[in-house]
Amino acid sequence: MDILLSSIVAGLLLGMVLAIVALGLTIIFGVMDIVNFAHGEFLMIGMYTGLLTAQATGIDPLLTLPVAAAVGFVLGIICYTGFIRFLLRGPMIAQLLGTFGLMLLLRNLALLIFGSEDRALHHGILVGKSFDIGMGIIIPATKLAAAGLSIAAFGGVWLLMNRTRIGQALTATSLNAQGARYMGIPTQRMNALAWGIGGGTVTIAGALIVNFWSVNPFIGLLFTMIAFAIVALGGFGSVPGAFFAGLVVGIITEIPGFWDFLTYTFNWEWMADVPMTSLKYMWVYLAYFLIMVLRPRGLFGWKQ
Amino acid sequence: METIKNALDFSDFPRFDLIIAGLVFLFLLTFPVFPFSAFAMATIIQFLMFSLYGMGWNTIGGYGGQVDLGKAQYVGIGAYTTAVMLIRWDIPFWVSMPVGVFFAVCWSFIIGYPLFRLKGHYFAIATIATSLVLKDLFEVWGFVGAARGLEISPIKYHPPDFLRLIFKEDAYYYYVLLGFFVLGILYINWFRKSRLGFQLRCIKDNEDVARSLGINVHLAKVKTYAIATAFVSVVGSFHACYIKVIEPEDTMSLNISILIALMAMLGGAGSLWGPIIGAGILIPLKSYLKEWLGATAGLVGIDLVIYAMIIMAISAFEPKGIWGIVQRVRRRKRK
Repeated sequence: MDILLSSIVAGLLLGMVLAIVALGLTIIFGVMDIVNFAHGEFLMIGMYTGLLTAQATGIDPLLTLPVAAAVGFVLGIICYTGFIRFLLRGPMIAQLLGTFGLMLLLRNLALLIFGSEDRALHHGILVGKSFDIGMGIIIPATKLAAAGLSIAAFGGVWLLMNRTRIGQALTATSLNAQGARYMGIPTQRMNALAWGIGGGTVTIAGALIVNFWSVNPFIGLLFTMIAFAIVALGGFGSVPGAFFAGLVVGIITEIPGFWDFLTYTFNWEWMADVPMTSLKYMWVYLAYFLIMVLRPRGLFGWKQ
Repeated sequence: METIKNALDFSDFPRFDLIIAGLVFLFLLTFPVFPFSAFAMATIIQFLMFSLYGMGWNTIGGYGGQVDLGKAQYVGIGAYTTAVMLIRWDIPFWVSMPVGVFFAVCWSFIIGYPLFRLKGHYFAIATIATSLVLKDLFEVWGFVGAARGLEISPIKYHPPDFLRLIFKEDAYYYYVLLGFFVLGILYINWFRKSRLGFQLRCIKDNEDVARSLGINVHLAKVKTYAIATAFVSVVGSFHACYIKVIEPEDTMSLNISILIALMAMLGGAGSLWGPIIGAGILIPLKSYLKEWLGATAGLVGIDLVIYAMIIMAISAFEPKGIWGIVQRVRRRKRK
């Protein structure tokens, strides 16, 4: 029972953080129908930003979020105006391979600058502390804080998208870009803004994740695929969808925990032999495939 | 008879192209005679392998317009079938290769049927997902060596062994592969003029029109996907005998899938020569950049940085590839 509960709690906490990883992807996809393969690389840059800022200035890692957000925002806008703008004229395959090129570029620049070794945070108020809330559930303080801040960031983006003029302009662009242009909305600038917000949110996620996850230049792809799965489940372009789907995918990544629970509860020996921990992320990919085939619109999606 | 005549008929290309192609072929045929370094030999074998991968991808991705980014799983299936059969039961390459193709095509039908309900981005990402699922499974499957992979040890055999494709000199591998290469070109040349080839181009231009003309769109796509798979799987089997060490990370990673699509797109997707041109430019560039900048200058990753910039420049400014430029120049001349 303990294993089951703690797996669910761990899954939900991770899910909240994963949701904000996927948020940027769903905004970018919603506004301009482009799939960004470099999304995980943005996250990796956010992780390095958080880590290096915290190490250089000695402040707590959680306080580096604004720096990471600023870096991500600027990076997103640079990527859009310097590169993605030109991709949008081409066919779909050029867009796919173009953002893949961006991913390779960012990843290998990071490799060139930071080297290939794993780096992790060792200081900070919350690092290494945890709450024991009984029933065998232990919550690491960093994960709790990360989940809380992720909800706050989600709320901020939701307010921005639904309660401000800029957000309405963004929504209009994603619903019908040509119509929005006729209404006097500068769609080019809206696209750039979407990339800025997308980059900013995902680097925030990176600065949160680096509190409990070590970083290396190759970490991006895993998160890109997780973000794709979340966005597919929640519906491409849907902000609330991304949140709930993030929770679901968080639970999916805890399947090894449920497996252990079943193994111990029913004492089936063959189950213990399955190397479930190594297959942790396979379930996410499989979930993506099944969602796309069975329900391409996702749970909350409106874009087909 | 008609089929063979069609496959050998290149008369719809301008004479200039055919002369160039003939010269390149002559060069390829006599390549091992020249005293090139072993590194150049390895590079040109890579070039042939990737042009074959690219030709396979080109059927579904170029002629059919379905962006498939999961071809690495079939490289893996082909390579693992050959390696497992050789190591465990000592079955020669010429038997295990067709078996590998059979497995790969079966798997492509299993996932192809649901996959082709998707379009565009969704299809592309779903192909990646299936490829990653298979890679993760191979990484824990003890029968195929899990994450350590398999190793064919050449000591047990007596090279040159033409049945098992175990050689000491790369030149043997080179000529076997060149044979596949020629067959591949002939097959694609037949394919582009076949009924399925025309159906595919119609599907690429407009799926609704294709359907209204009575084409079974879904079946045509699945069939072509299987053809592309067979190409990739054959070369995968060859890869197993040539490289001799097979791990999931090397043979089935996403990079391989993307590289395959990139070759075809750089050269010009949907043309016979496109993948060959693309591989002919990218593969030497990649291996020599790595040799000069990565290994000699000690800058790990800079080769891929330059490589990535080339990919970005092509996709942003010349999405039709090099063949697209050639055709544009020709059209301008004709006016």
